[in-house]
Amino acid sequence: MTLRPVEFHILLALAEEERHGYGLLQEVAALTEGELQLEPGTLYRALHRMLKDGWVIESARRPAADVDDERRRYYRLTPAGRRIAVAEAERLSRLVSIARAHRLLARA
Amino acid sequence: MPDISPRRLAWWLVRAYPPRFRQDVGLGLVDAIQDRMDARRTAGASRAGVWIPAMVDTIRNAPAEWLRAALEATARPPRRTMPVSRGRTMMDKLLQDIRYALRMWRRKPGFAFVAIATLALGIGANTAMFSIVNAVLLRPLPFRDAARIVSVWGRTNAFPRGLLSYAEYEEIRKQTGTFASMAFWLPQSVNITGTDEPQRLVGTFATGSFFEVLGLRAERGRLFTEEESAPGTGKPVVVISRNTWKRRFNSDPSAIGATLTVNGTPLTVVGVLEPPFNQDTAPNDGYFISADLFIPVAQFPVPNGLAAAGPVMLGVAKLAPGVAVARATADLDVIHKRLVASGVQSSAASRSSFTAQSGRSLFAEPAQESVVGTSRPALMLLFAAVGVVLLIACVNVSQLLLARAVDREREIALRAALGASRTAVARQLTVEALLLAVVSSIAGLAIGRLALASLAWLRPPANVPIPTDLPLDWPVLLFNGAVAIAVAMICGLAPALRTARPDISRVLQAGFRRASGAGRRTRDILAVVEMAMSVALVAVSALLIQSLLAVQQAPLGFDSSNVFTLQFRLPQSKYPTPDDIARFFKRTIENVRAVPGVQSAALVRAVPFSGNGGTIAYTVEGQPQPDPTSAPQALFHLVTPDYFKTMRIPILKGRDFTDRDDAQTPLVAVINDTFARRAFPGEDPIGKRFTTPQTQGPITIIGVVGDAKHYTATEPARAQLYAAHYQVPLIFSSLVARTTVEPMSVTDGIRKAIWAVDKDQPVWSIYSLETTVERTAGQSRFLALLLGIFAATALLLAGVGIYGVTSYGVSQRTHEIGIRLALGASGERVLREIVGRGVRLTIVAVAIGLTAAVLMGRLATAVLFGVKPTDPGALAGAAVVLGVVSLAATYLPARRAARVNPVVALAEE
Repeated sequence: MTLRPVEFHILLALAEEERHGYGLLQEVAALTEGELQLEPGTLYRALHRMLKDGWVIESARRPAADVDDERRRYYRLTPAGRRIAVAEAERLSRLVSIARAHRLLARA
Repeated sequence: MPDISPRRLAWWLVRAYPPRFRQDVGLGLVDAIQDRMDARRTAGASRAGVWIPAMVDTIRNAPAEWLRAALEATARPPRRTMPVSRGRTMMDKLLQDIRYALRMWRRKPGFAFVAIATLALGIGANTAMFSIVNAVLLRPLPFRDAARIVSVWGRTNAFPRGLLSYAEYEEIRKQTGTFASMAFWLPQSVNITGTDEPQRLVGTFATGSFFEVLGLRAERGRLFTEEESAPGTGKPVVVISRNTWKRRFNSDPSAIGATLTVNGTPLTVVGVLEPPFNQDTAPNDGYFISADLFIPVAQFPVPNGLAAAGPVMLGVAKLAPGVAVARATADLDVIHKRLVASGVQSSAASRSSFTAQSGRSLFAEPAQESVVGTSRPALMLLFAAVGVVLLIACVNVSQLLLARAVDREREIALRAALGASRTAVARQLTVEALLLAVVSSIAGLAIGRLALASLAWLRPPANVPIPTDLPLDWPVLLFNGAVAIAVAMICGLAPALRTARPDISRVLQAGFRRASGAGRRTRDILAVVEMAMSVALVAVSALLIQSLLAVQQAPLGFDSSNVFTLQFRLPQSKYPTPDDIARFFKRTIENVRAVPGVQSAALVRAVPFSGNGGTIAYTVEGQPQPDPTSAPQALFHLVTPDYFKTMRIPILKGRDFTDRDDAQTPLVAVINDTFARRAFPGEDPIGKRFTTPQTQGPITIIGVVGDAKHYTATEPARAQLYAAHYQVPLIFSSLVARTTVEPMSVTDGIRKAIWAVDKDQPVWSIYSLETTVERTAGQSRFLALLLGIFAATALLLAGVGIYGVTSYGVSQRTHEIGIRLALGASGERVLREIVGRGVRLTIVAVAIGLTAAVLMGRLATAVLFGVKPTDPGALAGAAVVLGVVSLAATYLPARRAARVNPVVALAEE
């Protein structure tokens, strides 16, 4: 099963730290240099699927008290989610190598 | 815009998502939506710039999530009971009902399959029938302003839709205000010569206004004008169809300016007609412009010119804007009266042919009606029949749903007692019926396509044109949708009504196994309804089958077996005088008689059942001159000697024509029995003389022959007049030859025999007479066949329905029957009681059904021959057939009931 782009972006955005919903939207926008502006509904539908499939989980830990907002729900990657993100990154990396070998991209 | 905080709006928007989703991530989504709105606001966006993206986002995602939820729900293992629905949104409930229905289908795939297949068949047949009715009767003709195009007819007693004369055409054209334009036209076979082999094409002789009336244009070159087409000013030009351009000229542009020799006259091709539509797929469209060539009426082959020819062509006109057909007819009446009074026709011949036409009048009717009118009764009858089949299918499915609803009655009553909404169950049943209808109507579209394909396979007659494909156009799709909704309502109504008002205390007090009196009554009514409808359908199809038999057994008056026929026309330029034509006739007959296998041969102007023919007015010498408007008419035939022998028409009195009855001898005629009895009651007609407007001098009757049918086997007996073909030679004629061998096997020999006289002479319509006769019975055969299929389907469905009702009733009463058997009742008594109930229902159904059959039969009168809608044989037969089916369907479950083992039945509680 191929990973949907939205899902991969969510996995990427959660790779380093747990985030709440709006934080995810901002991080995805930042990572793609503003190219992917997700709307909340789209994000949460993906998130809902990923929660059910066990790729992400609602986090029990909270960040430091001074940046916390008690009403927020934070999400983090599960080990399974991390493995999927890694596998997808490797797949893309292989594709990039192939593209380079065929001179579609400049050598790094 | 109301002042609502972003948070409140976010809450509202999230409510659009399914409950499970809201439960899982709803709060997070509310936060995110609010955060995004706040951020946009801070960035300086207007209020609309904040709200609209949030709404668009919800509209894009919420429905998708609902769909996903629904799909997941059906994939989950079914729950045993129907979920209680309280305090949810309408959408929740609906979705739940759909899910529940799908789950039930999954649990009982047999039920779902039977219900969907039954309905899909019914809907498919209706969709197919509708697409035929739509294509044939409803769709406007494919011409510009088609609604304003009318046919103009001359009406006489003999022909309700007759031809017009050129004088009438000219007079109508002079009348301004009624018609925007008026044209005079007639399709006729033409000979094309001067190429490698002689060929016959279909030409339409037309005035220049023909193209104007129909809004036709030239694809290449030009069309001809009124002046170019008129007698006197006519030019030798011709317009060809696109097909002719392709076939004869390989689509070569140089065809314009080329010469085509038509009926011996060289004509210059001036243009190619642009077809206004796709001629391959439109069933009606060939009526006006299917011809290969369009030729000015000035070229029309009539001996003394068009103006003197009497009524010879068809009229078509375009109404002026805002003029109604009725007003056009009134105006035509005035024109006709003026024409007769003023004696506009200079030629005596043409005047007499007008005034002698008994009660002649002119009228206009929508061209659509002229094109499709004859197929209407047959199509409407078939449409009604498939409608009945669908109703029966609905009733069956309704029975199935009802049985299931009643099964759950206790559960439902219990819920109701606990406070659940009573309408919930009714709603669930309605949703299920709707779902069934939607799925079946989609399947029905596919079945409709198949049905149309197989219809073409059943050889429909020419006047019931079957579109080869089911076009998925709007009318058909709308019809299909409407039928689906109607089906859902019919199927869901009875069960929903029944279960919406369960009598709680009664149901709860009753044991698990009990006969539900009220449920049984509803089911009984439904069973009676479907039996009644199938009895009606069986009766009507029995009427049609009887009618078909009557048509096939109707005496023709001639022997159609082993007769070879063909048609030809001689080019007027090559055979300018009657003597030339008669010479060709004589030599051809001689040659054909010498062909091995030919027993006798003759020429006749119009072969019986070929559709050709004409009438003539006559006045008997020595009898009081009848009022010119009511002179009697006779079918007019031209035959050579041996025609009666060849056709085996008995000569009752006098003699046949001989070769000596020719242009040098006085005119003679043979009349038929009906003519003799009408014109000469109690007298010997031999030697009597009469006159006709079309012939010079008196004609002496030399013989009387038996009546022979000419157009159809079902026509009433008419006066017929046979004149000597050698005395009245015409360029159009046909050959009939009685053979000692299979008639078509002499084809080559006969063709060579004709070509030995003239190697350039084309011949066509080569058929055995039997084929020609059989073809006219086509409509009766096709109708009887289709209705037979529908009736058989209806009977099968009704049988299944009765069986279902009875066996369900028996299964409900197993416990009761067990007790009665245990208490000493005999199995035979139980059997008698159950079968007796079935018989009572059947009797009621038959009474209702036969009444309906008589009413439906009225609809069928137009297509019935030799049988009345109240025919006792057909009605009784239908009653017996249904009786047998219903008895069998009741007996089987009843026997099972009688064999119930009391111990098992009682232990089941």
